[in-house]
Amino acid sequence: MIQNKGSDTLVNVAQAWAEEYAALRPGTAVAVTGGGSGTGIAAMINGTVDIANSSRKMKDSEIELARGNGNEPIEFVVGYDALAVYVHPDNPMDEISLEQLAALYGEGGDIDSWSQYGVEVPGCGSDEIVRVSRQNNSGTYVYFREAVLGDRRDFRLGSRDMHGSKDVVDLVENTPCAIGYSGFAYATDHVKMPCVRKGEDGDCVSPSVDSAIDGSYPIARPLFMYTSGQPEGVIREYIDWVLSDEGQCIIYEKGYAPRGDVDCS
Amino acid sequence: MTEASSAAGFTPAAADASAAILIEKLNLWYGDFQALLDVDLRVRAGAITSLIGPSGCGKTTLLRSVNRINERLGYVRTTGSIRLWGLDVLDPSVEVAQLRKQVGMVFQRPNPLLLSVRDNVLFGTRVHLPDGRPPNRVEGDRIVEEALRQVLLWDELKDSLDRRGTELSLEQQQKLCIARLLPVKPRLLLMDEPCSALDPAGTEAVEELIWKLRGDYTILIVTHNMAQARRASEECVFMLLGEIIEHSDTASMFLNPANDQTAAYIEGRYG
Amino acid sequence: MSEVAHAADRRDAAWWIDRVVQILVLAGGLSAIVFIAGIFVFITREGAGFVFDRFDFREFFGSPRWTPTSSHNPTYGALALIAGTASVTGLAMVVSVPFSLGAAIYIGEFATGRVRETLKVLVELLAAIPSVVWGFIGLSIMNPLIIQTFDVPVGLNVLNAGVILGLMAAPIMTTIAEDALKAVPDTYREAAEAMGATRWQVTFKVVLPAARNGLVAATLLGVGRGFGETMAVLMASGHSINLPTSPFDSVRALTATIAAELGETAAGSDHYQALFTLGIFLFLVTFAINFAADVFVRGGQRKRRRRGRRPAASANP
Repeated sequence: MIQNKGSDTLVNVAQAWAEEYAALRPGTAVAVTGGGSGTGIAAMINGTVDIANSSRKMKDSEIELARGNGNEPIEFVVGYDALAVYVHPDNPMDEISLEQLAALYGEGGDIDSWSQYGVEVPGCGSDEIVRVSRQNNSGTYVYFREAVLGDRRDFRLGSRDMHGSKDVVDLVENTPCAIGYSGFAYATDHVKMPCVRKGEDGDCVSPSVDSAIDGSYPIARPLFMYTSGQPEGVIREYIDWVLSDEGQCIIYEKGYAPRGDVDCS
Repeated sequence: MTEASSAAGFTPAAADASAAILIEKLNLWYGDFQALLDVDLRVRAGAITSLIGPSGCGKTTLLRSVNRINERLGYVRTTGSIRLWGLDVLDPSVEVAQLRKQVGMVFQRPNPLLLSVRDNVLFGTRVHLPDGRPPNRVEGDRIVEEALRQVLLWDELKDSLDRRGTELSLEQQQKLCIARLLPVKPRLLLMDEPCSALDPAGTEAVEELIWKLRGDYTILIVTHNMAQARRASEECVFMLLGEIIEHSDTASMFLNPANDQTAAYIEGRYG
Repeated sequence: MSEVAHAADRRDAAWWIDRVVQILVLAGGLSAIVFIAGIFVFITREGAGFVFDRFDFREFFGSPRWTPTSSHNPTYGALALIAGTASVTGLAMVVSVPFSLGAAIYIGEFATGRVRETLKVLVELLAAIPSVVWGFIGLSIMNPLIIQTFDVPVGLNVLNAGVILGLMAAPIMTTIAEDALKAVPDTYREAAEAMGATRWQVTFKVVLPAARNGLVAATLLGVGRGFGETMAVLMASGHSINLPTSPFDSVRALTATIAAELGETAAGSDHYQALFTLGIFLFLVTFAINFAADVFVRGGQRKRRRRGRRPAASANP
């Protein structure tokens, strides 16, 4: 029995892997639980899990803690996730730059209303931008901060901090004034995803699996699995299978980018 | 029985004075159980009339019909008529609140409200607003003093008007329960065994008080206590199994009962 | 009682069953104390590191900046969280006190028979709705409704969470308030009615004052419920660090902060201990509220007992 725990972003994929693997190798069962990247990493530090899923890199301090407990974390990139920016479908905004996002989300930012972006949002009479974010230790939050705000900048307080990737999309769907960020895999037909531009004259790229694979989408992040020490035996076999074309096609089907070119036809 | 029922029609000598209560053909049911059968009764104004009879004979039920407090139970049905100085009590158009302003009631167990002595006495004026508004401080003081003097409590309680009514001795509580009826000037006082929860000294004091109120108020009193009925009332009504057996002035009932059952009860052979 | 049993030398099955039951009941009673003490010790131990090393009274109670995961300058100001909890709980009381007192008065004093029983069942049914369902109602029904009705940018705010929490706290408040009304002896009502008071006058002038302690206790327990509620508040409040200035501001509650962050925090870190410090604070506040409610209930009972005893004593000289 392989214990696999962590990132909510990855939990659906991890579940799909586990089910598929159980069909292939009836002798090996994989138990998957979510709870968030931090939960998985905490379990890795405490040595209560075989594989930790995370949507962010382990911090140095966390690696130290794990080593202190005799667990040497080994990192595997198992795929990539495009972090889409979501707005209400009635919102006319079609593109947004990282700088604009930083001026909205970052501490000291000065953007509060849609008219500052030069758009008028139907159904949003107050013109106020409702910033939707994530709770402050989710992998998505941490990655967005690194990628959009930079290492030394914090989020501005006052955002609505949702407790799951799906909650962000749900809230944006129902709130004309809202903008939020969440994994591309959580997109629905009822939200709009503007393309994202890096720098004023960069190309504006829409989030997709392909743009995450080719690296053109500016806020795509690696997804990780951590094992305690070099994996051996059944854990090694499982990780190898996840990284194989077969495993990578499953992550592709779930709306994430595989680590490299695979043919899943 | 027919002979006994006719005794209810007995008219006391002093009945020339208008009757305070005139009850005709009163029947009352608790659900399926008939508690009063064809009761006819005339209560003389300004007098004390006591209702006696063994437990369950309907005397308390009769008393509680007069101010319609019986109806709280919800499963009571009444036919016949009760008139108070001509007012048809059972008429559906009668406002029970106004009726009960005219008819004060004293209960078996003293039941002062969970309020101060003063507020207990003033409760009636705050409910009925005799001047169209609650009494002001000065009027209130006067009303409280007057009522407490009438029940002989003023000297004992004048310095503790803010004490809770429920903290007094039982005798004081029962006097307070009488005092709180007086400010709205009722014409009739109904008393349901008012001394049964009191010790002998308290009983004596309250009986004395009731006797003192005679004349100013018409009083109908239920009692289990033969001696009390004899001491403290002018007319006496004996009931048995929901019927009135005998009604006469107290002295003659105790000296010379007309009915054998009355005689048996008075002599203590049952009840 | 064992002396009595010795004296009578009668240790039959009933005696043994009695002993066993007494021990079981005692264990049950003691376990409550053990659990509450255990929980307090655990929370305190987990939060102790922060309280002693890192805790800054002025920052914690004076700053709205709660940025525990900041990469360069983590701050632990709980003011916005406290304000969020207080504002949501306050509004919840504004919603639930009239609602539940009204319901209790109607059920206890006016309704009869079938209506009364049906209402009681309905109120208890309301109490059985899980917290997360309330949160869901807040998120997907109240949110668009508030946006449309008040033309505000977002419907996840103090108003939303307050209404949801008010509805959640109402059943327990109604039940306790109704118990308090029921505990008022019927003789008071009868006395007042016999003096010609209407039903409403009886209720307002006699029953409510007599039940005051119980009603205060009901309200306090409702406050405690609101203070401690997590999931629904997390979903309906907007979970946004803010010092609210209007009911349409999003806020974040203490409980919701713990729920959202604790799961993904490395055990033993400053952030983890700071969350437990919030827990200690919550525990102390809810403890104080429940204690106050208890004092009120007991105060009422003691007075009533004394009232019962004194006249009886004077009746038997």
